[in-house]
Amino acid sequence: MRSLRAIAGLLAVALVISACSEGATAVPDTTATPVPTLSPMPTAAPVSTPTTAPTVDTRATPFPTVATAVPTVVPTVVPTAAPPEPTAPALADKQEFRANLGGEPTSLDPQRAGSALDFSTIRQAFRGLLGFSPDLGLEAVSAAEVPTVENGGITEDGLTYTFRLRDDVTWSDGEPVTAGDFEYSIKRLLNPEVAAPFAALYLAIGGALEYNSAGDQDAAARQALRDLVRVEATGGLTLRVTLERPSPTFLQKMALVPVYPVRRDVVEEFGDSWTEAETYVGNGPYVMTEWVHQDHITFEINPEYWGPTPTLTKITYRMITDVNAEQAAYRNDELDLASVPPGTERAVLDDPSLGQEVVRSPELFSLGIFLNLNEPPFDNLKVRQAFATAIDRAAWIDSVKNGVGQPATSWLPPGLPGYDLRLGGEYTFDPQRAGQLLAEAGFPDGDGLPSISLTHVTAGDQPVMAQFIQAQLKENLGVDVGLDPIDPAIYGQRVVGARQFQMTPFGWIADYPDPENFFVLLFVSGAPINVSSYSSSEFDRLAGLAATELDQGRRVELWKQAHEILVQDVPVVFFFYGERLFLKKPRVDGLAVTSVDGVIPGDTRLTEVFLTP
Amino acid sequence: MLGYTARRVLWILPVMLGIATITFILMHFVPGGPWDLDKKLLPQTVENLNRRYGLDDPLWEQYGNFLVDAVRGDLGVSYTYQERQVTEIIRQGLPPTATLAAVAFLISVAVGLPLGMVAAVKRNSPVDYLSVLFATVFASVPGFVLGILMVVVLSVEWHILPTGGWGSPSHVVMPAVALAALPAAFIARVTRASVLEVLGQDYVRTARAKGLPSSLVHYRHVLRNSLIPILTLLGPLLAFLVTGSFIIETVFSVPGIGRLFVQGIFQRDYGLIMGLVLFYSFAIAVINLVVDLLYAVVDPRVRYR
Repeated sequence: MRSLRAIAGLLAVALVISACSEGATAVPDTTATPVPTLSPMPTAAPVSTPTTAPTVDTRATPFPTVATAVPTVVPTVVPTAAPPEPTAPALADKQEFRANLGGEPTSLDPQRAGSALDFSTIRQAFRGLLGFSPDLGLEAVSAAEVPTVENGGITEDGLTYTFRLRDDVTWSDGEPVTAGDFEYSIKRLLNPEVAAPFAALYLAIGGALEYNSAGDQDAAARQALRDLVRVEATGGLTLRVTLERPSPTFLQKMALVPVYPVRRDVVEEFGDSWTEAETYVGNGPYVMTEWVHQDHITFEINPEYWGPTPTLTKITYRMITDVNAEQAAYRNDELDLASVPPGTERAVLDDPSLGQEVVRSPELFSLGIFLNLNEPPFDNLKVRQAFATAIDRAAWIDSVKNGVGQPATSWLPPGLPGYDLRLGGEYTFDPQRAGQLLAEAGFPDGDGLPSISLTHVTAGDQPVMAQFIQAQLKENLGVDVGLDPIDPAIYGQRVVGARQFQMTPFGWIADYPDPENFFVLLFVSGAPINVSSYSSSEFDRLAGLAATELDQGRRVELWKQAHEILVQDVPVVFFFYGERLFLKKPRVDGLAVTSVDGVIPGDTRLTEVFLTP
Repeated sequence: MLGYTARRVLWILPVMLGIATITFILMHFVPGGPWDLDKKLLPQTVENLNRRYGLDDPLWEQYGNFLVDAVRGDLGVSYTYQERQVTEIIRQGLPPTATLAAVAFLISVAVGLPLGMVAAVKRNSPVDYLSVLFATVFASVPGFVLGILMVVVLSVEWHILPTGGWGSPSHVVMPAVALAALPAAFIARVTRASVLEVLGQDYVRTARAKGLPSSLVHYRHVLRNSLIPILTLLGPLLAFLVTGSFIIETVFSVPGIGRLFVQGIFQRDYGLIMGLVLFYSFAIAVINLVVDLLYAVVDPRVRYR
C-alpha cells in the first residue's frame, strides 16, 4: 500500500497546482466561438459625435471603470508612436510583440469573418475607409476625410454618402487601392453566395436587402440585383453609397471590418484559399508572413505601407485555446499579453508581481437574465419586478467575479451615449420589497408559482452564474428555481430560435458603439434576437424614430426614453456590465485599449505600440 | 496469408461505410447545428450559410453527396474554418499528432518493456517494487495532470521548456512524456506479468536445466514468448496514442487533429467531424490489421489462411 500513499501525495500536489492555475484542463475549451456572450464581435466603430470611455492604457496601472453618463467625452491620453516626452523612450532592440489569439481564426476574409479572433487578425493587414479614434470617434483612414454634411460628404437628406479616398493608399503588392476595390468588397459582402455573417448590418444600403436575400435565384437574376446595389465608384478615388433610408449609424458601420477592401483579382484567382499567407494581399501596416494553422500567425511590416511606419517589426499571434495554458505561457515569457483565467482574478490581482501587470478597461458588454414573456409567470410584470429586486448583484461582482465588472440595473452599458447610472434604481437589491412585489403578484412567498427553471449553457461562468441566481432567489424570495444546463451548440436553436426557456442569462457585446446596437435586434417587437419576446408599442415607436433620426442629440434622447420604457417593463433582470481584465508585460508601451477591440486588447492601434528594454 | 490480408483490407471498406453512416445519422440527430453557437446570426444569414454549404438539401442528398465526394478523396469543407478543406486540415494536423504519438510510443516501449522485464526477473527486489510503484502511479495520474505539473515546474518555474506550441524538438518533450506515462506504466505491468508467467513455464526450466546461460534463456525463450500479450496491448495503445491525445494537445496547444476533433464536436462542425471520424476509423482499422499480421510473425503457432 506504499504505492497508494505515493499516488495520494502526487495527486495532492497536482490538485494544488491545478487549483493555482484554476480549473485544470480536463475540458477542452471551445474558445473559438465563446459562448456565454452573445455576439463574438466587438468590432465596432465610433460615432462622429463623441461617445465615451475608452481606456487608454499606458502604464501597467489598473484602470478604473469609467462610468460616465450621457454623451461626454472622457479626456484620454493618447499614446503615440512617438511618445510625448521630449526625449524619445529607449526602445528594445527586438520589437517583436506576442499575443494569444485563443484559437484558429474562422476566416481571415474581411467579408466572411465572423469572430473577434478574425477581427483582431484582419485589423493588422487591412485598413478600412474609416477607423476608430481612441475615444471612439470616427477618423479617416483610407478615406481622405470623414464625410459630413458640411464637407459635402453627406447629402442633406442623409441618404447619399460620398467617400473620397486618399490618393496614396496601396495594396501590399504596390498596386493602388481604388474606389472600385471598395465597391467590389461591399457588393461581395452582400452577395448571398458569400453568406457573410455581418451582411445584415448593411441592409440600409439601397438594393442591399434584395440582393442579399436572392440566394434562391439564378445567377443572372443575382447579377441584375447586384447591379442595383447602390454602391458605386464614381471615379478612381470617389465612392458613392446611397441608402434606402437615413441611417445615423451608417458611418460607424463603414469603419467595421466587414467593409474592409479586398483585392478582386486575388479573390477570384485563388478562391477561398486566398487568405493563406502566400496570397494574402492587404492594404494595412502589416503583411501576414506565416499562418501555421492551429498554431500561430506572424505579421511583419508591410514595406509598401502608405501610413506611418509602425515600431513593432513583428507581431506573433499564438493560438493557445486553453486559458490556463495561456497563463503559463505568459509567465514563461512567451506572451506579452494574456487574459486572466476566470476565477483567478483575485489571486492575480493580489499577486505582488502579476498584480502590477494587470490592466483593466471597460467593455461594451451587458448581461441580463432574459425572461420569457410568453409564458407564466413572467408574463406578469410584478413577478418580473420581484425577481429583478431579489438579486444581490453586488455580491455577484464582489464574491464571484472578484470585483471585475459592474452591477447593472439597466441594459445600456457605461461608455455609450444614453447610459444612465440611476436608471433602474427601483431594482436595487431589496429582499423585502421583492417579497412584497411577489405577494402583490398573487404569489406570497412564492406560493402558487409554476415550476421555474433557468436555462444556461454549460460553458464559461454560466453554470456558476446559474447557481448564484438560484441561491439568490431561494434565499431572498423563497422561490425554488431548477437549473436546465444545455450544450452551447443548441442554445441558438432552442433559446433564441424556439424560445423554449423561462429564464436564461444572455449577454450582448457591441458590434458598434451605439445604443441602437443594444436595442434594435433585441427588443423591437418581432426582432430576430428578441429572446424575451418583448413587445411594447411605445418602445417600438421610439426605436423607429431613433433609427432614422439624424440629429445626434435628439437621437440619444429617443434611445434614452426607449431605454426607460424597457427598464420599466423589465423583460430582463439586468445583471452586470462587463469589464476587461488582462495582463501586460511592463515592457509593452503605448497600448491603447478601447472598448471595441477584438480578442487582443488594443488590436485597432498596434501600430502605436512599442517595446522598451 | 496473402488471401487473409486481402480479405481484411477489403473488409475495411464496409466498416468505413458503416461508420460513416452511423456518424452521419448521429451527428444530424444531435440537436444544434454549426451556426447555432453564434446566437446573433439573423435568419437570412443562416439561410445563406445553409445554402452555401448545402445544409438546406434533404439529409439523404447530403449523405449521398458526402459519400460520393469522400470516395473521390474530398471530405468537404469545415464549417468552422470556412475557407479550408477538411482534407487539408487533416493533412496539416496529422504531422504533430503523428509525431507525438510516435515519440510517446517509443518512450513508453523503451521505458515500459525493460522496466517490466527487470521487475519480473528480479522479482521481489527493490527494483521490482520501484517498477510496480512507477506503474501504479503513472497508470493512475491522468496525463493532463502530469502535463500541467510539468508545465508548472519545467516552464513556469525553471523556464527550461516552452509551455506549448509546435515547431521545435523542445515542443515535443513535455506532451510526449505526458502522453507516454500511462502506456509506459501499462506496458511495464503487462510485461512483468507476462514474463513472470513465461519464467514459470516448463520449457524455460528445461532450457535452464540444459545449462543454457541465463541471458540466452531470457533473450531467446522468455522475451520472445512473453511478447505476445504485449503485442496485443501495443496495437490498441498506438490507436490510443493517435486518438487519445486531444486533452494533451489542448494542454500543450499542439496544432494536431486531436484538438480539432474535440472543437469540431463542440461546434457541430459536420464537415470536420465526418472527416476526422473517417480518418480515425481508417487509422485504427489499419493498426489492428498490422497487429493481427504481426502475431503470425511473433508466434509461430498463429497461421492465417
